[in-house]
Amino acid sequence: MTTVQERQDVALMAHLLRRAGFGATPDELDRFMEMGYEAAVEGLLNPASDCEMPEDLIRRYHVDQSDLRNGGAAAAHWVYRMVNTDAVLREKMCLFWHRIFATASTKLIQARMVVNQVEMFRQYGMGSFRDILARLSRDPAMLMWLDNQDNHKDSINENYGREILELFSMGVGNYTEDDIKECARAFTGWRVVNPDYMSIKMRNNTARPYGYIAWQFEYDDDDHDHEEKRFLGEVGDFNGEDVVDIICRQPATARFIARHLYHFFVADELPVPQWPHFGPRDPEAIEIMAQAYFDSGFQISAMLRAMFNSDFFKSEASRFARIKSPAEMVVGTMRLAGPIDLPSTDTYAAAGACAAMGQGLLAPPSVEGWQGGSEWINTGAYVQRVNFASRVLNDPNKPGIRAIIDRMADGAYGMALSPQRLVDACLDALGPLPVLDSTRDGLIEYAEKWGDTTLPSEEGDRRAVTLIQLIVTTQEYQMV
Amino acid sequence: MTTSTAFQLEPVTTVGFVADQGGRGFHLPTDFAIRGDGRIFVASRSNMNALDIVGIQMATIDHQFFGQLGSHGQAPGQMIWPSALALDSQDNLYLADDFLQRVTVYDREGGVSATWGTKGSGDGEFDGVSGLLFDANDDLLLVDHRNHRVQKFTKDGRFVSKWGAFGSGDGELNLPWGISSDDEGFLYVADWRNDRIQKFTPDGEFVAKFGESGRGEGQLSRPSGLAVDSDGNMYIADWMNQRVQVLDRDGRFLTQLRGDAILGEWAVEYLNANADELDARSRFVPVFETDTDDPGEVSARIEPYFWDPVRVALDAQERVYVLETGRHRFQVYQRV
Repeated sequence: MTTVQERQDVALMAHLLRRAGFGATPDELDRFMEMGYEAAVEGLLNPASDCEMPEDLIRRYHVDQSDLRNGGAAAAHWVYRMVNTDAVLREKMCLFWHRIFATASTKLIQARMVVNQVEMFRQYGMGSFRDILARLSRDPAMLMWLDNQDNHKDSINENYGREILELFSMGVGNYTEDDIKECARAFTGWRVVNPDYMSIKMRNNTARPYGYIAWQFEYDDDDHDHEEKRFLGEVGDFNGEDVVDIICRQPATARFIARHLYHFFVADELPVPQWPHFGPRDPEAIEIMAQAYFDSGFQISAMLRAMFNSDFFKSEASRFARIKSPAEMVVGTMRLAGPIDLPSTDTYAAAGACAAMGQGLLAPPSVEGWQGGSEWINTGAYVQRVNFASRVLNDPNKPGIRAIIDRMADGAYGMALSPQRLVDACLDALGPLPVLDSTRDGLIEYAEKWGDTTLPSEEGDRRAVTLIQLIVTTQEYQMV
Repeated sequence: MTTSTAFQLEPVTTVGFVADQGGRGFHLPTDFAIRGDGRIFVASRSNMNALDIVGIQMATIDHQFFGQLGSHGQAPGQMIWPSALALDSQDNLYLADDFLQRVTVYDREGGVSATWGTKGSGDGEFDGVSGLLFDANDDLLLVDHRNHRVQKFTKDGRFVSKWGAFGSGDGELNLPWGISSDDEGFLYVADWRNDRIQKFTPDGEFVAKFGESGRGEGQLSRPSGLAVDSDGNMYIADWMNQRVQVLDRDGRFLTQLRGDAILGEWAVEYLNANADELDARSRFVPVFETDTDDPGEVSARIEPYFWDPVRVALDAQERVYVLETGRHRFQVYQRV
């Protein structure tokens, strides 16, 4: 008999795995329960293994995922990793940084460059924020996205200087217009190799004659402004790295990143443009994470640890309180169905579904990324969600669904399941997913037409799949 | 870049152009075959954004272009994932399709004369044809890669024999890709996931193996295809090492190629019609020091280098043709 405490512990662990990952299958949930909550957090922060990405197979079977030029192929490539990885928080952090440092292949034309940027997030996204920001500033996709190839010592282009302060680190209200210009001066000479040709190819939107040429960072000291700069109250011949150091020491930076983490992992905040005018919904939570930032020498993992182990994260009020992003919805559903075999066109369909639901991976709508929250849902997007989930979870022989059904059968000890028990078993396997009484009643009413169900059996399997498909159409399944 | 040894190859020309918006050129090509009269058939896999380019483009080393055979689709003569090509003694062109799991035969005029194939693992069935070769008897050798074997068919599709099984022992295969033969009729299979080339008798008896995993001389990383010249030298598409290695008949390293592409005629004509790009090219550094040691990423950044060199073929003069999926072209070399 399961105790109330055990059920609460399972619900908390499931909450952690939904937010820090993409949800858990019942078997995964069992494995994490054996570890205990705090050890699970550490396991997520320090994954022992990663997705053994079979790059050779992917590239052989899907040649467009070898050059990664096309946005759809590149997004499919990322979907594969998110669905098959064991390092779920690492992928979640890629989504997190992709949302903040939003860079779109639609302007850059060659999606490969954004893929490389995401790979940087994958490698360094839970490390030092100073390191992340320095690498971002050298990232060819970011340099071209924000026009730093046009930022010269004799004629600055302030685009990157502005956005690194406004969107990537501190937020509006914590610096002046002069700081932006001085910041831009510090980044003069930061560009890609062959900047003229690369800019023209991007503008002309053509791969001719022999396909795109991937960009590489280059620092041109002759084009760097070595004059004295005054930035955020400090004075010196600052280069880009110095500016990054100064930014990372600012309390505003710690609070800004903390608020983003809260916004992504705990509860929806107001749209970012309103942050200068309205404080965070939980100032104490922001301070806890900001303190972890400074105590650890700017480590993002320390902020995440403080957050996941906090009462504000664990609270029941925060559970199922956010709408799943399309990526969370799509990847979580595919993980329920089981790993992807190769060759497969499923990843392309999944990437397309994400875009149709409003989150084109590697193609955010602007430098401000996606706002998310209630904006994820409208009538069209909801229909896309329902169609996608019920299409993916349509076959009892997909390994993930087979495991769920077999588990339900084991729990029945050979007995036939009543409609009520069948519904509860399915809800349990999909979360556990708490639903409104009216939702549960509706599902039971539907199942009653079958009478009792024996699992596994051809007819029983079909019923279980039908119920799972119904459950993923509910409002409750859209929440995380 | 050519490593200097007694055996040397020099670049001759580069033929290709990214045809992602149609027109002259290729798009993500996967295989090619050279007819006796010099016509070159190139199978373009393309991608979902450019399905019109899925087909077999026809060209010559002299940059002539003759259009496209076949198109995307499932009807006879169409294709989804073209994966291998071969010509028989009557110049019929055989195409394998990894998605449709079938072989299509085009006659010399381009008409579809046959379509056959059944997915499976039984005799005469296959799962993912990745290489085709006609032997001296005009029988068709077919690399049945997900079944880790080679099957022999008559040219009209009747099963004759099979050999190979999954594994890494002598004569065993792991997702093999391309196949070739020498003048004596020995067969060579790119044993892709075993990082080696295996040599077999015409009946499939193991003879020798060449290569091991690695990036050094004589080592291979996922070889995808090869050609063998009249001296028995093997020109190996060392696919994930992004190079072509030449080994002698005993497997000794002779030389390697990293790619030396020039702007071919189609590329030059394009640039002459686009002054801004031509002007920027005048300040362009084609080969520079990269800050990565990932061969694939280096290939993505350095345009003259091979990017996914998937096949090697020899013409009647034993010039060496290297087909590159990632750069939509082939580079041609000759012995010095």
